Amino acid sequence: MKGRVWKFGDDIDTDQIYPGKYLPLTDKKEMARHAMEGTDRGEEFIKGVKDGDIIVAGKNFGCGSSREHAPVAIRGIGISVVIAESFARIFHRNCVNTGLPILILQETQHLNDGDILEIDVTSGKIMNQTQNKVLKATTLSQLEFQIMRAGGLLAYLRHQNKATKEGL
Amino acid sequence: MTIIEKIFSTASGNEVNPGDYIWADLNLVAMRDFGGPNVIQEYENSYGTQPVFDPTRVAITFDLHIPARNEKVAVNQKTLRDFAKRQGVRLFDIDTGVGQHILIENGLVKPGEIIVGTDSHMNLLGAMGAAGFGMGTTDIAGAMYKGKLWFRVPETIKIEISGRLKEYVGAKDLILYIVKQLTTSGALNKAIEFSGETISAMNMAERITMASMVTEMSGDVGFILPDERVVDFIRSRSGEKIEPVYPDADSAYDKVYEYAVDDLDPQIACPHSPDNVKDVRDVAGTRVDQVFIGSCTNGRYEDLEIAAHFLKNRKIKNGLRLIVVPATMEVAKATLRSGLHEIFLASGAVVTNPGCALCTTGHPGILAPDEVMVSTSNRNFVGKLGKGAKVYLASPATAAATALTGEITDPRSV
Repeated sequence: MKGRVWKFGDDIDTDQIYPGKYLPLTDKKEMARHAMEGTDRGEEFIKGVKDGDIIVAGKNFGCGSSREHAPVAIRGIGISVVIAESFARIFHRNCVNTGLPILILQETQHLNDGDILEIDVTSGKIMNQTQNKVLKATTLSQLEFQIMRAGGLLAYLRHQNKATKEGL
Repeated sequence: MTIIEKIFSTASGNEVNPGDYIWADLNLVAMRDFGGPNVIQEYENSYGTQPVFDPTRVAITFDLHIPARNEKVAVNQKTLRDFAKRQGVRLFDIDTGVGQHILIENGLVKPGEIIVGTDSHMNLLGAMGAAGFGMGTTDIAGAMYKGKLWFRVPETIKIEISGRLKEYVGAKDLILYIVKQLTTSGALNKAIEFSGETISAMNMAERITMASMVTEMSGDVGFILPDERVVDFIRSRSGEKIEPVYPDADSAYDKVYEYAVDDLDPQIACPHSPDNVKDVRDVAGTRVDQVFIGSCTNGRYEDLEIAAHFLKNRKIKNGLRLIVVPATMEVAKATLRSGLHEIFLASGAVVTNPGCALCTTGHPGILAPDEVMVSTSNRNFVGKLGKGAKVYLASPATAAATALTGEITDPRSV
């Protein structure tokens, strides 16, 4: 996947990612229109973001409430992967369970806003085409990839039950 | 092995190490009136009318918007009641109280168990030696279907407390002090084990206060080793034999923090973060409009008893509003029998039905812009209890003393 970097700081909470006033929305397309709206560059992001773009953030991305609207909206607006120094536990789980790819990278200071990156989510290789540099991120575990490839947690468990019943 | 490593080894069927990704069997799956309806929607979208993995291991609690305050909430609650009936799962309706406390009181929480729920403060079940995890709606829907979930085995932080707390300095002051030291991201992806003589001496209510605020340090899960009193309580409520899980003496800890707390003074978390903690005396005199005593962190009988000690035969400050909310109906009934309820009413407090109450904006009692509240709850994020309002987090003693004077007050000064 390839896209442009949108940089954000530390402790971006789920209320910044998806403001609480939109919690009643259930249509994923409508939800996507409010991704990152509560951040200090929300308006610029929503206007400018393109399919495949990448969010790069600091520590504890996705802290705060457990709302799953957050990863669903980020994915819905076209973000292909979120790279952060660390993720809050429930947000991390929600990404895996709903199918938003994430990578953990300590050296996010080497990625600038607007850089064009080509990313291999499976190996964690980040090719920074703007700076002509390669970085290596920590990827998800095998178990998490299996869940994502199945189309999320609920689909994974359904396949698993079916396999058990059929004696596979 | 640490407690969580032992619990996950048993629940996954393999010996685990920190950093491993595993599937673990769950002992109980809980949801509440907030979040629960979304779980059911997701469950039925994916699995239709298929039965849950084990109806005896699913529980629904009503604790946030109770009784229903508008039509939307009423519909959500009906969704849950209908689902419970269809699937044969237990439902604790609006006459019960805070979910985790209800699970504890009903003997549904035992040491060494893994319990997941839609409440971010499921951690407080660590007060009983159980692993409580707060999770999103997809996790809970999947958990209810399959009875297991995936986990990363966390490293464990050990927090060892020594010393004897001064008079009117309690578990809340201690945990606020610890949150200040570790910060709101200090236990990210970690489990916490609290130990030491100060913790061992704590009663169940104090243990609940400590364990509940693991969430505020971003911890995965937190534990307090059950003592004889806690084990007796669980045995009497569950009617089962209880075998607590204890850590090995040679457990490998990610970090060990040691605090001596003999000199600790009353603590208070200032707006707008649970780790913005100061000595109460440093902000004493700050004008306060409302005081809330209750919540999953400080809504037990023992918490209310401390508050009543200050309020007995006294009136709260004219113009200040005091809202007292017992965590559960069992606690509420005990306050009626012992006369605490009478003390609160006579002091000028409003006592409402058991539940979470002033945790978030959904509940009656929220604040106008610029108003100030001292709360015994656990979070004071911007806007959580009304736009432009300021929330301070403190102990029941500090909250009650503040209600008497109308300004933030060290409980030892009244």
